[in-house]
Amino acid sequence: MDNDLVVVKKNSTVIPKASRRTELWKRIKKNKFMYLMILPGILYFLIYKYLPMYGLIIAFQDYKPYLGISGSEWVGFDHFKRLFSEPDFWFIFRNTLLLFVLQLVIFFPIPIFLALMLNEVRNQAFKKTVQTIVYIPHFMSWVIIVSICYVILTLDGGVVNGILESLGFQKINFLLSDEWFRPMYILQVIWREAGWGTIIFLAAIAAVDPQLYEAARMDGANRLQQMIHITLPAIKSVIVVLLILKIGDILELGFEHVFLLLNASNRNVAEIFDTYVYTTGLQQGQFSYSTAVGFFKGIVGLILVMFANWLAKKSGEEGVY
Amino acid sequence: MISTKKFLSSVCALSLGLSALAGCSNESASNSTEDGEKSNKPFELSIMATLHTPEIPDERLELLLEEKTNTELDIQWVPDANYIEKVNTAFATGTLPMAVSISAQELGTQFKQAIRDDQFWEIGPYLDEYKNLNKLKPKVIENTKVDGKVYGIYQGRPLSRQGFIFRKDWADKLEISTPTNTDEFYEMARAFTEDDPDGNGKEDTIGLSDRSDLLYGAFKTVSSWFGTPNEWGLKDGKLLPEFMFDEYMDTLDFFRDLHKNGYINKDFPVTSKKDQQSMFKNGTSGIYVGSIGDVQGLYDDATKLNPDLEYDVQNKVEGPHGEFGIWSIPGFGSIMMFPKSAIKSEEELKKTLAFYDKLMTPEMANLLLWGIEGEHYEVKDGAALPDASIREKLDREVRPYLSLEVGEPDTNGRYEGFAAYEIKAKAEELIKDNENYLINNPVVTLDSETYTKNGERLKTIITDATYQYILGQIDKKGFETAVEKWKEQGGDKVIEEYNASYKKLKNN
Repeated sequence: MDNDLVVVKKNSTVIPKASRRTELWKRIKKNKFMYLMILPGILYFLIYKYLPMYGLIIAFQDYKPYLGISGSEWVGFDHFKRLFSEPDFWFIFRNTLLLFVLQLVIFFPIPIFLALMLNEVRNQAFKKTVQTIVYIPHFMSWVIIVSICYVILTLDGGVVNGILESLGFQKINFLLSDEWFRPMYILQVIWREAGWGTIIFLAAIAAVDPQLYEAARMDGANRLQQMIHITLPAIKSVIVVLLILKIGDILELGFEHVFLLLNASNRNVAEIFDTYVYTTGLQQGQFSYSTAVGFFKGIVGLILVMFANWLAKKSGEEGVY
Repeated sequence: MISTKKFLSSVCALSLGLSALAGCSNESASNSTEDGEKSNKPFELSIMATLHTPEIPDERLELLLEEKTNTELDIQWVPDANYIEKVNTAFATGTLPMAVSISAQELGTQFKQAIRDDQFWEIGPYLDEYKNLNKLKPKVIENTKVDGKVYGIYQGRPLSRQGFIFRKDWADKLEISTPTNTDEFYEMARAFTEDDPDGNGKEDTIGLSDRSDLLYGAFKTVSSWFGTPNEWGLKDGKLLPEFMFDEYMDTLDFFRDLHKNGYINKDFPVTSKKDQQSMFKNGTSGIYVGSIGDVQGLYDDATKLNPDLEYDVQNKVEGPHGEFGIWSIPGFGSIMMFPKSAIKSEEELKKTLAFYDKLMTPEMANLLLWGIEGEHYEVKDGAALPDASIREKLDREVRPYLSLEVGEPDTNGRYEGFAAYEIKAKAEELIKDNENYLINNPVVTLDSETYTKNGERLKTIITDATYQYILGQIDKKGFETAVEKWKEQGGDKVIEEYNASYKKLKNN
């Protein structure tokens, strides 16, 4: 009896592969115009995202531009071996990770707070003005932001050091020190991106059902309680998705930004993979090696995204896939 | 399917045949030109050139150039900033033009390998067939060689423009004479900082403004005064990098003192050239070490702010050892090279070289650099004076073409620029004077595989340590640790390879 039951169960749950395929085919046929609509999207990804991956081959070659991909010598994992045996590898890895953790821990929650606060503003004109003002820095290039900071912080007549001096404090060498690099980096990121980051959260907050708030108010919940017990849980899934995507960008810390801040005195904390690729790879025309480093970066990012996604699913959230 | 294939292959065969025929006819044509210039069909030549101006240049000079050399030119102007990217792309896609300009620096690193892989024509053996190209300076040609062979036509640059510019009015006020040794130089920097040279009763001046450039900023020039070799030097018959010499340490201490006492801008390791110059122009600083030819531009701008300002220039500063020397560049900024992928035959190469030979006549060289006489410039005292009232027109019509120049005024016979400002004229003389005291870089034509591969990275170790020592962030021991690190990470190999290469060259 027991055995029979098991057999029956197995048969009912496992649909033969062939029939599943035909079913999918049928569905596609039925909704062919719907599927046609995603074709441009698929083509876009194929042509601009997947096709260029062909170029990753050069990470395993001794690539020379004039010989091309087909003509260059195959060297296998040599470039990866070189990367991992590089004496600077671990300190670059550490710097990259640390900046990333700073972004995650300090920067990431700020747009959420800002969005929650903006949501509490009742005067619409004031709210819109503040929103516009906090969006503007996003449209400034890093060159401008770093130059402004340089002018403010320099020892040769900068405002901040002028104030410090007039108050009787020691001048601080912000630009040429390894202690100030990380605070400067993260503050600049916050200054530029925090406002822009609120957009998605504000949209998510706008979608919360107003009845929930009404009900809460009936029950005597104050503004803070409404925020904690209604708004935050309602946008939790958006937060999780953005967090996972952010983790995917782990090693995208902004080459331009870091490179502009980098100098002889802070290299030990500011050298990250992107700047390393630039000085070692591109400046010296070592395309294969640079590609290998970039490839490695991508793999680390992929693993972290998968891990974060798995973690999100474990804790009952939807994740990104 | 099969029929298309057949069709294609027959087309290919046909075109091959045709090109072979064309090759034959080309040959006969060129033979006849050599005989008596019968054929008047213009020679088609494609060139990739660096563009230093924001706009694409006007065609006028190009048309004149074509007419006078009987050539049909196809010039690809590539902005300076992404020139090398563009060359690499063209390399990868096999679309290099017939003549490519490569900078001195890239020649030493990236392109060595390509040259060894036989991607470019060796032109050494042909040079003496051309009466103008034959005039190019052998000493400079020597510096362009790769593995002892000549691959390109160089564009000349003065060997050393280094020296310093200072505020003459400040010096006069404080009764300081022009410094002739490093102690006097230090004293001037001190006085310009502490003795209120602008007389406003405030401590708002500094001696020297410098920028984040150890090479073309102040550091390397001052290191020459102290007698440091240029990049590499001989010590007991062995080539060693400059930072292993005591003179380098002396220079470091000199700068460390300047910095500690505030005689140099505190943030110089992150100061841009623009900021450095504006400090010098607006009366914040009084000394500018670098290319003394800059004095003209600096003066033009500075007198707008302060009409009473006076500059002076000086090149000779003796170190503690009582001698003056100054580092030099290899004498060229870039060279024109000829890819084999674009120039298929020796005949074509010879015609291309003939074109460059014509560019080296005074007429063509003047056209490239100054434009059309009477319209773009006047000749005054045997020198060219560009019409300053049409600056924009010059920028659009003339200036871009200077990147096509071949050789230098000595060899192509073009006019020198007329210096209306007497200090600029003095600077030009001092630049010539520098040639008597040059310190050459001995490894220019030597070869180190490790350096080609990892030189940039290794250099960073020393550059960082140099800055950190001057800023007082590390001490002598810290600097020595950096040198040890440099050795371990490949420096030892670089020393070994350069010395082997040096010995080989000496024995030949």
